[in-house]
Amino acid sequence: MDTVYFIAQQTMYFAIPLLIVALGGMFSERSGIINIALEGIMVMGAFISISFINIFQDSMSGQQLLILAVLVAGLTGGLFSLLHAFASIKLKADQTISGTALNLFAPAFAIFVARMVQGVQQIQFKDTFHISKVPFLGDIPLIGPILFQNSYITTYIGIGIAIMSWVIINHTRFGLRLRACGEHPQAADSVGINVYKIRYAGVIISGVLAGIGGLVFVVPTSTNFNASVAGYGFLALAVLIFGQWRTKRIFIAAFFFGIMKTFAAAYSGIPFLKDLPISNEVYKMIPYIATLVVLTFSSKNSQAPRAEGIPYDKGSR
Amino acid sequence: MKKRHSLQDLRGTTSFFASFMAIVVGLLFGLLILLVSNREQAFPAFLTILVGGFADGTKGIGQELYYAIPIIMTGLSVGFAFKTGLFNIGASGQFTCGAFAAIYIGIKCAFLPAGIHWLVALLGAMAAGAIWGMGPGILKAFANVNEVITSIMMNYIGIYLVNMTIVKTIYDPLKNQTKPVASSAIIPKAGLDKLFNSNNLNIGIIIAVLMVIVIYILLHKTTFGYELKSCGQNKAASKYAGINEKKTIVLSMMIAGGLAGLGGGLLYLSGSGKYLQVLDVLAPEGFSGISVALLGMSHPIGILFAGLFIAHITVGGFNIQLYSFVPEVIDMIIAAIIYCGAFALLFKNLINKNKKHVVDDKVVNKEETNVKEEV
Amino acid sequence: MEYVIEMNHITKIFGDFKALDDVTLKVKKGEVHALLGENGAGKSTLMSVLFGLYQAEKGEVKINGNHVNIKNPNDANNLNIGMVHQHFKLVHNFTVLESIVLGRETVKAGFLKKDDARKKVMELSDRYKLKIDVDAFISDITVGMQQRVEILKMLYCDNDILIFDEPTAVLTPQEIEELMKIMKELVNEGKSIIFISHKLNEIKEVADRCTILRKGKYIGTVDVSSTTKEEMSEMMVGRKINFNLEKEVQQIGNAVLEVKNLTIKAKNSQKNVVNNVSFEARRGEIVCIAGIDGNGQSELVYGITGLMPINEGKIILNGKDVTKESIRKKSVEKMAHIPEDRHKHGLVLDFDLQENAVLQTYYEPRFQNHGLIKFNAVKEYAKKLIKQYDIRSPREEESIVRNMSGGNQQKLIVAREIDRNPDIVIAVQPTRGLDIGATEYIHKKLLEQRDNGKAVLIISLELDEVMNISDRILVIYEGAIVADLVPEEITVKELGLYMAGSKRGVNYEEKA
Repeated sequence: MDTVYFIAQQTMYFAIPLLIVALGGMFSERSGIINIALEGIMVMGAFISISFINIFQDSMSGQQLLILAVLVAGLTGGLFSLLHAFASIKLKADQTISGTALNLFAPAFAIFVARMVQGVQQIQFKDTFHISKVPFLGDIPLIGPILFQNSYITTYIGIGIAIMSWVIINHTRFGLRLRACGEHPQAADSVGINVYKIRYAGVIISGVLAGIGGLVFVVPTSTNFNASVAGYGFLALAVLIFGQWRTKRIFIAAFFFGIMKTFAAAYSGIPFLKDLPISNEVYKMIPYIATLVVLTFSSKNSQAPRAEGIPYDKGSR
Repeated sequence: MKKRHSLQDLRGTTSFFASFMAIVVGLLFGLLILLVSNREQAFPAFLTILVGGFADGTKGIGQELYYAIPIIMTGLSVGFAFKTGLFNIGASGQFTCGAFAAIYIGIKCAFLPAGIHWLVALLGAMAAGAIWGMGPGILKAFANVNEVITSIMMNYIGIYLVNMTIVKTIYDPLKNQTKPVASSAIIPKAGLDKLFNSNNLNIGIIIAVLMVIVIYILLHKTTFGYELKSCGQNKAASKYAGINEKKTIVLSMMIAGGLAGLGGGLLYLSGSGKYLQVLDVLAPEGFSGISVALLGMSHPIGILFAGLFIAHITVGGFNIQLYSFVPEVIDMIIAAIIYCGAFALLFKNLINKNKKHVVDDKVVNKEETNVKEEV
Repeated sequence: MEYVIEMNHITKIFGDFKALDDVTLKVKKGEVHALLGENGAGKSTLMSVLFGLYQAEKGEVKINGNHVNIKNPNDANNLNIGMVHQHFKLVHNFTVLESIVLGRETVKAGFLKKDDARKKVMELSDRYKLKIDVDAFISDITVGMQQRVEILKMLYCDNDILIFDEPTAVLTPQEIEELMKIMKELVNEGKSIIFISHKLNEIKEVADRCTILRKGKYIGTVDVSSTTKEEMSEMMVGRKINFNLEKEVQQIGNAVLEVKNLTIKAKNSQKNVVNNVSFEARRGEIVCIAGIDGNGQSELVYGITGLMPINEGKIILNGKDVTKESIRKKSVEKMAHIPEDRHKHGLVLDFDLQENAVLQTYYEPRFQNHGLIKFNAVKEYAKKLIKQYDIRSPREEESIVRNMSGGNQQKLIVAREIDRNPDIVIAVQPTRGLDIGATEYIHKKLLEQRDNGKAVLIISLELDEVMNISDRILVIYEGAIVADLVPEEITVKELGLYMAGSKRGVNYEEKA
């Protein structure tokens, strides 16, 4: 049973950042802008926020510091994503290329600044955020050990983000308008909605969430940041597509991929996995192969936002 | 079909101008970063970047050519795919698969005579890359799946698969990399190393230039190239014209994959001390290929020069370590160049702003028709 | 008499192109006012100025006598002006209710409140007799119903001035009748309607007055009931139009194309989109397949040409069974195809004119040698086509086709297909979206084919075109041929009945 708890807790560390970033991707894409720069934004957000922790960890610690760091990460991500938003919306650039540029820029920036400032490229931090057990909630049988032991506050932030996203997309005016801009921007424009503004909002939200996701990825899994998020940004894209751009399915997809990642990473620590003749590389591959399979069979009925990737030009009718 | 707005839509002089502007802006951006980091050393360092390998005379040029080889290949790969309407972001995976195949043949097939061994290894690299490129091609042709996402997936599947296989077959556990290849598999230098005073340079550069010419002829002078471009621009019209658009897309991705794979083979068989490391890291040459293709406007000759240019400033980047700068500034410059390349259409629009606005007749609008079957 | 809308001396310029040149439009309250003109005359542009999508360089707009400045659709909406566009602005996966409230949602702290909206929509639906299912998804309802959703959108925000842009282009004859009724109902309730069209029949039926534009200039305003169609069309075009084509009687030869028992099933169901169709197209005659859009004619052509697989049946070309052959083979066997969607199938828009000219023939020995293209040969050929078929373009054979006008693009396709000297030309909606000049030209070319002893198969939705140009009319209804008619022996109204399935031809009675 301990193994199950262990797997569950580890899965949280992997699934929550995927969830947050994929939801960010959802906001951007459903507004009509493809954002493959999630990887780069995660790196940027992680870099700035972990540097923040590194600088202030002598005077602050614990959840306070982490929450501030989350805000810093979000702010960074939002600002960095403005580059993509500007190029895609105002300049009507090719969104895949603009995204690729950001992805190339971020790790180089992180390494450059780190080495110029502190000589080495890894940024260390002390993990003072680990929650071994949440009082009361951690004692509930079954749910307690899974959700409320060995966790981080970022887990709950992540779940909160998921719930808020669902509500916003489906039950608010902003969500309705955002969806219209991603499916049929001419329709939105014809009723007076400012498509450009909404798309900016969509991309900025994706930036904020991706930035937070970068921080949330690094904190539970390491004690330093080394200018990389190991392809998580792209995996989050896979989660987005696997989840067919819908909140609930993204949630499920994030956890499915999270479990696979856990199997791959904690391979040696899980008895029944070690006995199976499947090498851990296979577990790493499964999320990607699964996405390919889903894509193959669902492309005809894809729920991808119909107008995504096509720059909106008010003048064209 | 989703229309791409970027460098590859421009024609002739406008696109060259746009490319040039992108380079200038990118370099200036780099200068800015240098200035912010360390004002006094900034200008000498910037000059060092611009001078690049020329600082070391022929040896430096030799180094540049050596660095240029793999990215010219991946640039050709991405550029070729662009021309046929596909974004081959999977060049990394194809590169790695090619590298693996080359090394594997290099180690396991030492029984082959010296003159042929390296050639077979390179052919194997091309084949491996082609096979790896085929996947996204098939999915795009038959299931209409966006090749960007499938290529990204294939990149990761590729690296895990290759790592897994290396460990099982040609592994050096001490250094966590592949074993050395047989000397007969190393690409001949044919005196180029003496000419340029550089140990790493080999006839790979000639092979790369040859491929540039081959691809140019293929794309622009043959009926096959016509079919490729037609499918890339309009799949439906190509089908209407009797072109087998499915076959063409698959072939296109296979060729693109083969080019990237060959790049991998050329790099890892150069005898320069490069070994394939067992790490979960995607080959950066694949992404450099995107920069090269964009800068080169997806034209084979342009790609050749773009590859040389990027190799040039990369070598310059190594040299600025003398001034205590970090070479990653080069990556940032390249990123800035790509970013500018993404909206090169802006330049074209500025130029065309005063031209006559063609008010079209009412044209059949895809939205208007009832949902018809995909034909 | 106070006008509800006055647009005085409007001039609109794009770059150095004058889309509107000193145009004046005055609409009375409670009238149906038609705006007539050819494609490119400026009707849509004028309405876009009224609706706030464009700003005029010169001129003024007055609503109810007050000078106004309409900068965007919101301003227009605030003045109670609404517009139903020709291409609906509906999101496919929204419900009807969501579509109606988009942009004017009732909210509480940002959250959508659907109940009030629902009530109001149902009220409007009852009052104006616009039946709809509020919770249905847009992608699941008919085109006619989608148009009703667009109308409800306008009524929901209390628009009094309603602009309809070519509203009947996408409707069946029944739906058109219903729309006319709805418009009369709206006018009864005090709304004023502007109705853009180039269809004289409909203008005659429902409009009170009509303003005519030509090439951006104001030609005149007439009282519809006292003006003939001929007079209106002459004002529209600037010259007399011969509504009846001169046709010589031709010798009919043997069949070039025989279609036998052709059946095509729909993708995800057992329904036959093309149902056991058999017919012949013979030398020296123009056969027209007439039908309302969506009755299987598109699929029929895709099946015959090979763009779509068929389930049963045979296709015989000049006596040879080509059912299983590739598209390329059929083309080589002298089947030419002028496709329905010239941008999707007919042309590669980003290629230049010469590259498009050889789209069907690039592999022939005259244009290539061992796989290498003979560029000079291609160039010469393109030049020839340009000259012979009067194709206008910015840079002759080097023009990027995307920059050519629709009419010239279509001429290029027609030139390419006919110059191959085919035995049969299959032309689908060959004059859709084209102005009268281009239309006349293409009809002339098709008649030439017929007069030269070739077979011509035309699929068309335009009843006038069908009646004027064909020697024989086959009516398609729900995937099956239901009548084989001679145009001289029937009226347009009767043809409409056949197309609507209300009448069936002799020998085509429905099986009990």
